[in-house]
Amino acid sequence: MVKNNFLFIVLAGLLVKAFLFFSFKPQEEKKLSVFHFPYQSQGLTERQAAAHLLSRFTYGATPGQIDEVVKTGLENWFEKQLQGGLPDDSLDKRLANYEFLNLSNTESVNTFPKPLKILKMASDDGVIPKDSVQLIDKDQVRLRLSQYVKSKNIHTQPQLIRSFVSQRILRATYSNNQLQEVLTGFWFNHFNVALTKPQVIHFAPAYERDVIRPNVLGKFSQLLIATAKSPAMLTYLDNFISSGENDSLANPQGRRRLQSDDEESDSSKISFVNKNKNTKRNKGLNENYAREVMELHTLGVDGGYTQADVTNAARLLTGWSIYPMGEEYGGQLKKLIDAVGEGKLIERGYLRDGDFFFIKSRHDAKEKNVLGKSYPENGGYQEGVDLLNALAHHVATANFISKKMATYFVADHPSPLLINKMSKTFLEKDGDIKQVMMTMVNAPEFWNKDAVRQKTKSPFELLVSAARSLNAEVYAPFQVFKTLDKMGQKIYYYQAPTGFPDRADYWINTGALLNRMNFGIDIASQKLRGVKVDLLKLNNYQEPENAEAALKTYAKLLLPERDMEPTIKRLMPLLTDPSLQQQLLKQSNQKERYGKIDDLFDLDNMDQEDKWTEKESSMLAQVVGIIIGSPEFQRR
Amino acid sequence: MSSRRGFVKSGALAVFGISMGGVPAFVLKAVSQFNSNKLYRKNKILICIFQRGAMDGLMAVTPFTDPFLKAARPTLFMSAAKSDANKLIDLDGRFGLHPSMKAFEQLYKNKQLAIVHGIGSPNNSRSHFDAQDFMESGTPFNKGTESGWLNRAVGLMGHDATPFRAVSMTASQPRSFYGLHPTVSIANLEDFAINNRKSTADINLTAKSFEDLYDQTTSGLLQHTGKETFDAVKMLSNVDVKNYQPANGAQYPKSSLGNSLKQIAQLIKADVGLEIGFAESTGWDTHFNQGTSNGIFARNVADLSNSIAAFWTDMGANYQDDVVIMTMTEFGRTVKQNGSGGTDHGRASCNFILGNYLKGGIVHGDVKPLAIENLEDGRDVAVTTDFRAVFSEVADKHLLLNNDHLLFPDWKGTHLDLFNT
Repeated sequence: MVKNNFLFIVLAGLLVKAFLFFSFKPQEEKKLSVFHFPYQSQGLTERQAAAHLLSRFTYGATPGQIDEVVKTGLENWFEKQLQGGLPDDSLDKRLANYEFLNLSNTESVNTFPKPLKILKMASDDGVIPKDSVQLIDKDQVRLRLSQYVKSKNIHTQPQLIRSFVSQRILRATYSNNQLQEVLTGFWFNHFNVALTKPQVIHFAPAYERDVIRPNVLGKFSQLLIATAKSPAMLTYLDNFISSGENDSLANPQGRRRLQSDDEESDSSKISFVNKNKNTKRNKGLNENYAREVMELHTLGVDGGYTQADVTNAARLLTGWSIYPMGEEYGGQLKKLIDAVGEGKLIERGYLRDGDFFFIKSRHDAKEKNVLGKSYPENGGYQEGVDLLNALAHHVATANFISKKMATYFVADHPSPLLINKMSKTFLEKDGDIKQVMMTMVNAPEFWNKDAVRQKTKSPFELLVSAARSLNAEVYAPFQVFKTLDKMGQKIYYYQAPTGFPDRADYWINTGALLNRMNFGIDIASQKLRGVKVDLLKLNNYQEPENAEAALKTYAKLLLPERDMEPTIKRLMPLLTDPSLQQQLLKQSNQKERYGKIDDLFDLDNMDQEDKWTEKESSMLAQVVGIIIGSPEFQRR
Repeated sequence: MSSRRGFVKSGALAVFGISMGGVPAFVLKAVSQFNSNKLYRKNKILICIFQRGAMDGLMAVTPFTDPFLKAARPTLFMSAAKSDANKLIDLDGRFGLHPSMKAFEQLYKNKQLAIVHGIGSPNNSRSHFDAQDFMESGTPFNKGTESGWLNRAVGLMGHDATPFRAVSMTASQPRSFYGLHPTVSIANLEDFAINNRKSTADINLTAKSFEDLYDQTTSGLLQHTGKETFDAVKMLSNVDVKNYQPANGAQYPKSSLGNSLKQIAQLIKADVGLEIGFAESTGWDTHFNQGTSNGIFARNVADLSNSIAAFWTDMGANYQDDVVIMTMTEFGRTVKQNGSGGTDHGRASCNFILGNYLKGGIVHGDVKPLAIENLEDGRDVAVTTDFRAVFSEVADKHLLLNNDHLLFPDWKGTHLDLFNT
């Protein structure tokens, strides 16, 4: 069924494309666009505008990309990015090396046992002593476990994380559908889930792939509801265990088992029977998701809701949970389903939609009121959908989302005028994200000089933009994960549901800045593990004659359409300081070139060119490293 | 505000400029004399250690006279009886310290070490993620809080500060440090330099280039932070990280925590203006084979106590008056042992606070007999002290930050009276 649908969509898409292609082919490509970007009125040249466009809707321009965009036409380029679906052969080839990218949640849960389970298996198999008092030490345990895992061919969660992180870095670096990637990052961060919560790990890859990615340019309400029903979000913000007072699974042991299946890693049967009714109540309603969906996902903290709204929204969403997944997930729930009878779920008011499961017996069926709207009793699953729709179309949401988008795509403090325009479109067009994007780019405020280069790159943006501008080969993407962490952005690990803050002053602090500079030096001098660069190739193998030429040439290559005069002026005296040059030459002479071969060859005659090359290329690496670590490169 | 400090930041140390790699000896000497004026000594220092994974407070500090505990833990229970091979260190006839925490015994007897038992969060979540999040944000019922409590503490200091005022010895910024105010998170101080490892000339040239570029940039934030960064690098270039010799024969364990505390000690002695230090200790999630006087738990508490004791020795009389060390953990563990020789997620645990002005040598707080009717949810040590009561008191009495409205917005309660006044 799913596959057929998918095929149908693909075929339909192809047909539409073919139609468009044939019907419009005779016309000039440049005239296709329905809009015209107002950059001239803001004093930008076409090339400057192209650079700005690329800085906002890609992870950084690749060499020559500004020329391409100008040739295609800025508006056309943007429309193509909105359409998406550009061929991605080079990316696909790279992704083909990763075997876990297409696993469903169920496959993921059943492929990667939790660490505790592995420990238990190892202990059952006698690899680790079970009841001995005299215990072996930690390193021993680790060693034995890693041997055990290998010998049994068990897949581990770190493998899943490695492939998940790698695909994101590769897509951001190499995808031709850059807008899709940038928006995936943006919306994932808006609807943040974090691998710091171990229970989220299994679900995060499918969350990004099936929940976020396909919806980034659709209706906001669709995106919101898709996240609300996803195992990743249900787990991350605890809604999957939230239940109403009429919970018919009320025997404490049964309920606790349901929770501890996933939330707690209790390894033993809980033999203390809960006798305290008051504390049992605490385990019923969980407000986490209800609070965050209003505060962070839709209305915003000043969106005008009250604590009563939060509590009632939580009651509305009770029973929104996760369907059992094979052997490894939801065993107790499976028993409930078997008791009801799978065929009878719908008529009894239960509902399954993929991994989502509405557990009617946990739902609070009484009447509720949220934000002035009354939800009559026995609303079941549908009232939760109604609530999310109401939130998605709320005027506070239109403002909050428009502001967040403008902050990310335009400037840290976007003009209220621009936010109003976007918010108006949001309300008029049923929260259509694509339309809001178009309103934003067609507004003069987007092209205002106050917006150009005013965003500070996040560490991820810095790393990927450096790789893109250097045409670097990221052959082992997981290696740079640590570098991201050092610079302050361990992707997928932002613990709080707010997601990474989108503010320059969050990213730029003492330790992080230093690591950015060191990153520049490392990537340019081939010391960044997992990444290879060919600096000479960038300039068609034409070697700059000296440091001055290197600086001028590479500043232009790496930071096109920027005024690099101040940077060049500032650096030139340093780079040409004769005493420093001498020191440098002396050092490299002593250390690198002359050793034993000194005795065998006459170096003055031979190797003249070789010697020069080495010195200069280390000089070149240094120049490029300084450009990447420079303040100008930190901005976009 | 102090003009002397301003001089350090912008004047005297700027002499280093280009020579970061090879600092002339006379400059070093001048700076070390300068530092001997103890510029920052008037500031108090708080070191927080987060024990991630939830420490079993009942095994660290055992109410050994409790028959319910003995019954609930057939193979994990230890007593203070002389006949017991796994003998606890008897603290007060009721509580006993785990035998692997010998290093704490003398500190407790000296009344420098205080223990709070029955401490935990009012939010009864038993998820590591949630409970750590709540403890570090300082708002146990609000996940949306953006900042961490230690970052808010930095904001309340109200005096001029250096880039090193708050340092976490971790690669990532801990949740406690999230927020507006500048902090440093770094796993290894050796990384705190422009480190093109090729040659001195290279480093100098690169560093000087960066410094000039950031000095000239039109972005206020980048310029300001750039300056702060290079000031920090210069301040630290005076510290020989590799060849540090702890004082008074202190021996740090060769563990992650030991290393972290050693480097924090270096920063304190280098007088770079450290006021809040943060370190982590891991491995406390002991579901399996917890052990008794040997085993996983024993190794963990040995590392914890030996690291802290080494740090304290290293501080010596010169610094001990200014420093308080406080441990924290997200929750405790079940009273009853489980089927695999371990314990599961529970509620209250205990914490350790070390300092010269504490009411030490006392187990503070309230742990009732562990009969089922006294347990939370019929299984766990009840939380009788809100962690915010203790954190707030330490912030108030030691760091002199008397603003719970900002530090712990939703908290209304009273302090335990842990400090001598």
